[in-house]
Formats: sequence, C-alpha cells, structure tokens
Amino acid sequence: MLKINAIKLEINTTNGLFGADLEFNDGLNIIRGDNSTGKSSMFQAILYGLGLEELLGSKNASTMQYVLRDHVNYDGNEFDVLQSFVFLEFTNGETTITTKRSVVCQGRLPQLIDVIEGAYLTQKGDYNIHPMWVHDAGGASNELYGFHLFLQELLGWQLPEVTNSKGEESRLYIQQIAPSFILEQKTGWSHFLATIPYYNIRNAEGKSIEFLLNLNVAENEKAKRYLNIQKQIINQKWQILFEQSKSLAHKGAAILNGLEPTPFIINDNKNISLSVINDDENISIIDFIEILKESYNELESYSLPNVGQNNDFNEKKLEALTQQYNQLSLQLDILSPEIALDKGQLKSYNQQLISISEDLRKNKDLLKLNKLGADIEMPIANSTCPLCKNTIDNSLLPDGIEETPMQLEENINYLEAQHKMIEVYIEGQKKYIQEKENQVRLMQDKSLEIRQNIRALKRELISDERLPSEVEIERRLSLRNKINFYIKLIDDFNNLKSDIIDLSKEWTILIGREKNLPSDFYSTEDRKKISDLESSFLYLLGKFNYSSQSGERIRISMDKYLPVVETKIGDDKIKQYDIKYDSSGSDFVRAIWAYTCALKRVSDTHDTNHPRLLMLDEPQQQSASINDFRTLLTELSGYKNCQVLVFASFNNSDEDYTNSTRGLQFSLNKIDGKIVKPQ
Amino acid sequence: MDDSNKISRISFVKRPISLPPDYRPMFKVAQIVLILSYCCRSNRSSLLKLHLFSWALKSDLNGQKVTHWVQNNFQTDFSVWGIEPTLNRGIQYAIAEKIIRRVSNKYELADKGVLLLNSIKRDNDLLKTEKDFLNVIGKKITDDRITNLSKKWTLFYVKD
Repeated sequence: MLKINAIKLEINTTNGLFGADLEFNDGLNIIRGDNSTGKSSMFQAILYGLGLEELLGSKNASTMQYVLRDHVNYDGNEFDVLQSFVFLEFTNGETTITTKRSVVCQGRLPQLIDVIEGAYLTQKGDYNIHPMWVHDAGGASNELYGFHLFLQELLGWQLPEVTNSKGEESRLYIQQIAPSFILEQKTGWSHFLATIPYYNIRNAEGKSIEFLLNLNVAENEKAKRYLNIQKQIINQKWQILFEQSKSLAHKGAAILNGLEPTPFIINDNKNISLSVINDDENISIIDFIEILKESYNELESYSLPNVGQNNDFNEKKLEALTQQYNQLSLQLDILSPEIALDKGQLKSYNQQLISISEDLRKNKDLLKLNKLGADIEMPIANSTCPLCKNTIDNSLLPDGIEETPMQLEENINYLEAQHKMIEVYIEGQKKYIQEKENQVRLMQDKSLEIRQNIRALKRELISDERLPSEVEIERRLSLRNKINFYIKLIDDFNNLKSDIIDLSKEWTILIGREKNLPSDFYSTEDRKKISDLESSFLYLLGKFNYSSQSGERIRISMDKYLPVVETKIGDDKIKQYDIKYDSSGSDFVRAIWAYTCALKRVSDTHDTNHPRLLMLDEPQQQSASINDFRTLLTELSGYKNCQVLVFASFNNSDEDYTNSTRGLQFSLNKIDGKIVKPQ
Repeated sequence: MDDSNKISRISFVKRPISLPPDYRPMFKVAQIVLILSYCCRSNRSSLLKLHLFSWALKSDLNGQKVTHWVQNNFQTDFSVWGIEPTLNRGIQYAIAEKIIRRVSNKYELADKGVLLLNSIKRDNDLLKTEKDFLNVIGKKITDDRITNLSKKWTLFYVKD
C-alpha cells in the first residue's frame, strides 16, 4: 500500500522564508480551497516528491507551478524565489520515509532526491539520508541510487518486462502505472489513463492495468515467448544433428531412416536407423556388419592358402568378377546419359518456370493497366470496341482464328496453377536426379573395389605358386577394415542418435507445456477479475447517473481493459469503440470516476497490485452535478484501508460543499487565502 | 471382343485458350505509349520503329540483340526483326481510343495517351521490366538508323 502522511514546501524568497504544509489521514481526505489558492500546486508537488511528475507532461522542475520556480505572490506583492524544496512523507504501512527534492537550488540538480529514512515531517528527528537519482538513465534499474527502483521495492512491486516498439525487452515503468490511481486536473480527466508517459511501449494502458490487477496474462504471454525461443533453439540443434547424421550416412553409403529435418516426438528409438543396400536388399547396418563378420570368420576358418592351391579358385573368381565388372560398367553407361537427360529436362522445367513467371507478371500488370484504362474511360479496358461499342474478345489475334481467349482473371489463375505444377515437377526431378546420382556413386565405388580385386587376382595368377595368396590376404584385410569402419560408423551414429533422442524428449516436454498454456493467455482468475471490473464499473456508472449509453452494450475490452461500447455490424461481427465517442462531456467524467473506483473495488476482493491510494484533482469536471459528485464522495468515503485524497474547489461555494459532504466521514484540509504563506 | 470397354462416343468441349499478354489490346496499347514516350523525340515515331521496339520487348533475347546493337555503336548487324500484325491491330485500337494519332507518316502520342502514360509512370512496379529496358535504350535509335538497317537487310535478301 501507499499512504501519503504529509507534504511541506519550503520556499526562500527575497522576502524571507515562505512555505506550506498539509497532513493527511487514512480514508477520505478532502483538500478544499477556492480557485487559485494553490491546491493544484500542492497536488503537483506530491507527484514531484514521488518522482512521478511525468504525469504532468514533462520532467523535473519545469513541471512545477511558478510559486516554486519563479516568484511568490503574497498580499499583492511578488517575491522572487531563491531556493525551493518539496518534502513528502509517505509510508507503505511498515516503513515510513520522507523525500526531499529541490525545485530551485543552486548547485543541486532536481534529479537528486534525498531519501530520509523516517517520518521527518510528523516526527522530527535525526534520520539517515540516502541521496538517490530519478529519471537519469539507470534511475529505474540502478540498485544503489535509483529512486524509482527504491519506490518499487517500497511498494512491493515487481514490474514486468514488456516488449517495446523496437521489439526489445524493456521494463514497465512506475510512471506508467500511476495514472490509474492518480488523476491530475489538466489532462487526467480527458481520457482513461490519459497521463501515461510514452516510452515506446506498445499498449502501455493494457500493460499497466494488467500489472495493477496482477493478471497472469502477462506471465502467460511471456511464457509463450520463452517457449517459442526454446523451440527455435531445439529446432536449430535438431537441424545440425540431422545434417550430421545425414553426412554420416553419406560417408557409409547408407540410407538414413526415420529422421526428419524438423523436431518431432520419437516414440520408438528403433525406427531411427541406418541401412544399406546389400544384394539389392535393404538391410539394417547391424545386420550388414553381421554378414561381413560371418564372411570374415569363414575366411579365417581356412588356413591361408598358397598361390598354387588357390589357382583354380582364383581363375573362377576372376571370371566372375570380370563379368560383374562388365555388368556394372554397362549399367553405369546407361545411367550417365539418363542423368544428363534428366538434367536437361530439369533445365527446361526451370526455363518454363521463368517464362511462366514472366507471363504472370505481365498479366498482373495488364490487370492494373485495365484499371488505369478504365479510369480514363478507355473502352478496350472493358473489352468494348472503341468505335462500335460491341464486345470484343480481348485479343489481337486475327478474326480468322476461331479460338476464344481466356478472360484475364481466368488466365492468371491458369498460369498460377501451371506455375505450381512446374514447381512440383522441378522438386520431383531434383529428387529423382539425386537418387540416380547416389546410385552412380555406389556403383562407382563398387566397380573400383572390383577393379582392385581383379588386379590383385591377375597379379597372383602370374606370381610364384609357392607364395601365400596375396589376394586372400588382401581380402581378409579389406574385409576387416570394412567391418571396423562400419562399427565405428554405427558408434558415431548411436552417439548422434542419443543426442537426438534427448532433444526429442525436451521437445516433448516443451510442446506439452505449450499445450498447458491457456490458448488466449487469460487464466480463470484473470477472467474473474475482468468480469468483476466490468460489473463494478457498470454498477458505479448507474450510481453516478451516467446516461449516454445503455449498460447492456458497455464492456471492458480484453486488450486494453478499458470501457468500450459494443455494436453489431452485419449479422455476427462485433465492433468495439471507445466509450468516449458516445458519451457527453460530463458523462465521460462519470465514466472515469466509475473506472477509477472500479479498479479499487476489484482489489478489495482479489489479489492485485493496487496501492490503495487514490488521488483526484478537481474531480467535479465538466459541470457534473452536485448530486452525482456527492455520490462519488459517498463512494470514496466508504473505502476502508485505502487513502483517498480529493482536491476540490466545490465551485467556490459553501453551499455546494455542505450539500455534497453532509453526513460523510472524512478529514478536511481547508485552505484559506493563499496556501503558501510566510513562515 | 469384349464390348463393355468399347467407347461408343467421344465428345470434346472447346475450352478458352491461354493468351500471352502481348496479344491483349490494352497491353499492346500500353507498350506503344511507353515506346513513344521513352524512345522517341517529340513522342513521335515511324511504324518501323514501333515494330522494332515491340519486337524487342517480346523476349529477353530480342531485347539483348537490340541493346547489343546500340552498345556497339550500331556496327553489328542483327538479322531481321519481326513485323507483327498484332502491333498493327494494337495501333488501330490506340488510334480509335484517341491514345495516339497519325501525323503524316508517323504516330504521335495524343492527350489521352499522356494521361495513360502518367498513370503508368506513377506506379513504379507496373511494367518495370519494359520501362527499364526502354530507359536503357532511350532515344538513341533514330529513324535513319532503322531505315539503314532495314535497307541492308533488303539488299542482303535480294542478293540471296
């Protein structure tokens, strides 16, 4: 909570010390003074003492009245101001502090606020003093010297991060919350939350009410943003892992199964695997290794034969290999021109795509041209002959051609369909070529291997028969290498796979959390608060005799949480517009009364951040009637555990004052003459 | 023979055909207006010149040939450019629309044509490729050049 205990002005003039004091109590305080007695100066000085003078439209000393800045009018004389200070004592219920801030003081900047740790105005004493800064860069975030941060902590406020118009995160400022409970006279009554300073924050009204009512929507929105960032991170990590797996598969001439380039929930780890084509059959790489091991073991089970022993076998083998090699070469010879052909086809598709795009562009230009032509009344733009006014078929082809050209829109649709189709062709063709190229690569590897084998066999067939078979040694060696290679490959792949599975688990949790967020960010409690705000607002509107609109059409909007009027346009479309446009001047002031009070009422029954302070400067605007003003004061005087400061002139009339306050409980501060007096 | 698969009757429905924008009256008229303004002195041109540019705008390749010819100071030859009846019909529409008028042997932009030209110019994206091309060529190609070129080409063919 926030409660103002007392304010004191200290003004040194060429005619000695002047000053003013006010003390305030719990509940309703009425500060009564006729026009130009200095009421508003006091109101504004309170804002100054709180470092909230931006509500008055600017910063620092320039916001204060001349009495603090320039000269004091007293008894028909003008005395120049030499030095002036504002003292403000306030409390959060537990800690009481007093601020001291200069308006005019040589050698002291108005940005400097002395925080006196005690009730300096009501209980004189020696207190610790902390100088702090306000408004300077870092004023709201510097822990040691930032007064706004200090004020936030005093109020127990944790102001949220919001997105500003540049898309950066920025903190909501205390000056943006204050207009919902402090209404100053000049602009405060012109609109709801009219005095919010603009800090590049989008929908500052909405954000400030969200904070004041402690709605979860901001948190939910933030959570959503956070989730989105997390999702992007996982997405990127996933893509890297996917690419790594793909290149691993490529290295082993293997096929990658069960993985997509984008994250998904993996239910069965076994689905993610590498496989290879062995004898025209797609088998898993683990089975493949087994097959390799088997044939290796088979080889090992024989003792190493001599060249001579092996001759017969070698000859047969050579024959078989040569045949296999020839077959492969033949297949390669067939495939290569096929690929060249496919690439040619791809090129022609690409050309078609370009020419269709160009045609489309021209057709769309033509559509514009027809519009331009129609604007300057060219009949051909509407397919009409400029001479005989008959319909023409919109073509320059000679009459003899008996074809009906398409209408322009139809033609554009047709071309767009063609465009899409060609794009699909191109995609398909690219994939097709890729597959064939893979196949070629596999075959080339294979044929290289066969060639090496053939060479070794031939060498062995002409070498000394007593030597051990080189081919056999080579065969065993290469088989063992191959086995080792694939074991290593599967190891690497398993590492990647476990990373991917971990990532998939994170992903699962993330989208689970995303599902749990309410779809439109509002929690149940939020909805309760907003509906309470709406019903309190409507109830108070009735009490204050607002009559411009019927209550059925008035709602609290869900984006800015401000009153709007709903109308139906068409059958089911609903349009909302500002309540101001349909309210008379005095009715709009009633609406601001009702809204301000409704915010306070909601905080009675819900957990909110409302400071339980209302400060209203001259609420009887736009000649609202005495009766209604009385109703407002009655409402305000009923607010327990809340301090209300009402600065009012009661139209400079004792009768008005009596009529509007009779029988009410409140504390009165009556200002007679000028409030700033010699001390 | 199994009769069930026999097709007893085939019917054809004549569908409208897709037409290149080059063959649409409004498009041709817009081209003529642009050519007259970007590439002709006093917005006035001979028929042959209109044909040359209309042909050059028809495809990238044609355009490149013309650019090449201009950039090499009109020394290179390029073989025949196309003469299209569609342009003649476009010109007729343009005259009927009072977009251009015929002055002795030449065609000249009329007031309404200037209106159309201005509204085309105002939209930067509209006919951007065409505008860019015509801008590059500018008013460098005179009627004399074209007559010379076409003379060469008639001689060339007469020899053949």
